[in-house]
Amino acid sequence: MNIDTISMRMLSNIGVGVALADPEDLKIRYRNPAFADWFGVEDNATLDDALENVTREELLERLQGREAVKLDVALKRRRRLLTIETVIRHAESDGRKILVVECQNISRLRETEAMIDSYARIAERKARELELEKNRVEKLLLNVMPRSVYEEYTAFGTVTPKLYEPVSVLMLDFVGFTQMAAAADPTVTVTELNDIFTAFDRIAEMHGCERIKTIGDAYLAVAGLPTPDPDHASAVAQCAFKMIRYLERRNQSHKHKWQARIGVASGSVVGSVVGVQKYVYDVFGPAVNLASRLQALSKPMEVTATAEFCADGPEGLVAADPRMVDIRGFGDTSVATLQPRGALTLAA
Amino acid sequence: MTGNKQTLYEKYGGFPGVRQVVTEFYERALDNDVVGHFFEHVNMARLIDHQTKMIAGLLGGPVEISDARLAMAHAHLEVEHHHFDEIALILNETLTDAGFEKQDRVKAIAAVEARRSVIVRRSRAA
Repeated sequence: MNIDTISMRMLSNIGVGVALADPEDLKIRYRNPAFADWFGVEDNATLDDALENVTREELLERLQGREAVKLDVALKRRRRLLTIETVIRHAESDGRKILVVECQNISRLRETEAMIDSYARIAERKARELELEKNRVEKLLLNVMPRSVYEEYTAFGTVTPKLYEPVSVLMLDFVGFTQMAAAADPTVTVTELNDIFTAFDRIAEMHGCERIKTIGDAYLAVAGLPTPDPDHASAVAQCAFKMIRYLERRNQSHKHKWQARIGVASGSVVGSVVGVQKYVYDVFGPAVNLASRLQALSKPMEVTATAEFCADGPEGLVAADPRMVDIRGFGDTSVATLQPRGALTLAA
Repeated sequence: MTGNKQTLYEKYGGFPGVRQVVTEFYERALDNDVVGHFFEHVNMARLIDHQTKMIAGLLGGPVEISDARLAMAHAHLEVEHHHFDEIALILNETLTDAGFEKQDRVKAIAAVEARRSVIVRRSRAA
């Protein structure tokens, strides 16, 4: 079998449509079975007859001065619309000019492309939904723990308890909240409490304090955690006064008058995520207990601190009414009422 | 033990698995004389998009097509019960040839059946 025979056999059996045509009159001189199957077998047919959706003039014009012309030919085959990618090239054989036409059925390729597009849209949509969900979860978790702790938690799935020293703790509690909740519509009371705590969060953030948690109507914030802050005492003191001032202003225009007691103390705390399923970030340590006891010693709208805290010199503040108090767990402790310099009294 | 939560979509290889089923289903549906005419004049990309979503969705993949959207897409087609039966048959054959186990095919076909009343023409659906 010579090379020509092999070539002819191959041409007859491949799935690619091949034809040879005259560049002058576009008459088809040879067509292999695949081409004939797609575009017909009539004698003397021309390329523009066969390819249908292109005119003779158009085809001749496109072939002018170009090495090759590529067109997608749509072909109806039973119910299916096939896409036949057709390339027409100029060639020469024994000094005779000729057009070589090569056709491939790329319908399956197009279908696969369409399917991938479809799937890509599904996947992108899912990715967007997941991103939204992730943001929601992140927002929720950032409500219960500082960002740096959250980052440790997401990276390692756990948070190592950490000692923070020195920090200052602010503990705030409302006077007569229980009676208030009982007397008024409790949903209204809680809505108001939510508003106030939201305002407190903003104040705390402004002063570099971190709200750790609320326990009922009590509010616990810390300065110097998780990032150390040499001005932690000043930060919680300023924060405490801003909170009281906020309540004073709010009380002027609201029916319910909210009165808070605040205790502030410095010391060390351990911060950690507690719990496995229902985890919460919390702080423990003497500074927390002390702030809580000092809060109970305060008169409404007063801030009580230890003498030590006052000596730390929160800027613009003075210690008034210094006294010794026996505090449970701490023994005799020197405490004072913290007041802004120049203010006679803060109480409403 | 494998988790019970694994969907058929995951079990049969996710999108690469579904791709094969969609291609095969598309071919068979078009060639079928009972239902082929429904697909004849539909834009190929749209049809493939619809079938990809439908098959991925049936197998518990990451797509959910609401009944309302399905009803809208089929409202003008006048699909009768015997058409719907034929589609279920084609899908069952396709899944069989793709190597789906019997109980998994039953599950997938049950998911198709659950949508029958949405797709088949209302007046004859009763």
